[in-house]
Amino acid sequence: MNRLNGTLLRTSLRRRSFSTADNVDGNLQGSKVQIFDRHLKRKQRDRAAWLINRKDSLVNTVADNLLDRLEDVKKTFPTTLCLGGSLEAIRRSVRGRGAIQKLIMMDSSYDMVKLCKDAEKDLASDNIETSFMVGDEEYLPIQASSVDLVISCLGLHWTNDLPGAMIQSRLALKPDGLFLAAIFGGETLKELRIACTIAHMEREGGVSPRISPLAQVRDAGNLLTRAGFTLPGVDVDEYQVRYNSALELIEHLRAMGETNALVNRIKFLKKDTALATAAVYESMFAAEDGTIPATFQVIYMTGWREHESQQKAKRRGSATVSFQDIQKEFGAGETT
Amino acid sequence: MVRANRVVEISKTLSEILVCPLSKQPLRVCEKSNSLISDAIGVSFPIVDGIPCLVPKDGKIIEAEVSRDGDSANTKRRYHQDGTGGS
Repeated sequence: MNRLNGTLLRTSLRRRSFSTADNVDGNLQGSKVQIFDRHLKRKQRDRAAWLINRKDSLVNTVADNLLDRLEDVKKTFPTTLCLGGSLEAIRRSVRGRGAIQKLIMMDSSYDMVKLCKDAEKDLASDNIETSFMVGDEEYLPIQASSVDLVISCLGLHWTNDLPGAMIQSRLALKPDGLFLAAIFGGETLKELRIACTIAHMEREGGVSPRISPLAQVRDAGNLLTRAGFTLPGVDVDEYQVRYNSALELIEHLRAMGETNALVNRIKFLKKDTALATAAVYESMFAAEDGTIPATFQVIYMTGWREHESQQKAKRRGSATVSFQDIQKEFGAGETT
Repeated sequence: MVRANRVVEISKTLSEILVCPLSKQPLRVCEKSNSLISDAIGVSFPIVDGIPCLVPKDGKIIEAEVSRDGDSANTKRRYHQDGTGGS
């Protein structure tokens, strides 16, 4: 089901980018493809703000891992924009990394932003000036060339127009600014996907999308290049979280605001189908000690806004020295 | 008093970098209604408790400013207000 959705999405995206006549407002925001219900996602994130678990090891690990990348670069990032997702975990994990002076926190959920704002006074003062705003990643309200770093931790996989959101992030960056994002990848919740499909087939004689189509690792590099980032970098991490029962997994997803927000979802779930899903999950994947593993695949993406100081390949045909001469110079001993 | 406090809450950092999410044009702070106004498209975005809400769905189209008769009526009214134009 997921695979089908993925290809469907890709073909429709492709169609959109080639058509000009029937898509009058065909700018980067003119996406007609609606996969996710963004309004519902806001509501879910409002709820997640109340259910949030500050000791969530998955979220904290991902946030820490993402920010760890700032230590690998010499550049400092005085002005930083933090997009939705695990906003609060990012704020806690910054701890002076990247020499951030101003941090702008944005989320599509007001309650989530308010939570971060209220939590601000509990944090040890680290001389970061924070500002808060409610905004949508698909309609980024940030002036072009105004921030040094854009961080997005586990939020962008819910955007309908991921390339568009990334292009807007790039435009918001100053030249030589860094884009740093973590999204859930296609292997995420594969066990639940299988269990859902089997239980639905068995109880209802068909399947409906319960788990969203996610980007694959191979897509991530293309996304970065398509959005125009230079020096793109992608790497993947897989986390296994163990739960006592399948219901606990759902509770966790709810607390993260990661529950189903597909436009084409069926809006109710029959109780016996839900229980069947839990039973299938347990019988197929439970470990010997009775715990239930769930896989979370996180794709980390880094990209830079173009700047002349960055290394790049020379223009084709601009070489002034023949390879034969180089060979004569350096490889003389081997070839002759 | 409370109102006066609420108005100055939007930080300097934000006012420097925020633009209209739809048109990417500059925003203007309206202290009377406590909102950010995008003149380019005539939409106002609320500031709730010092947090500007710039999701397109939160925006409200400003109706009072848009006159049905088009531009001429609009400019005429502006003249009146400024007191520079004739009656």
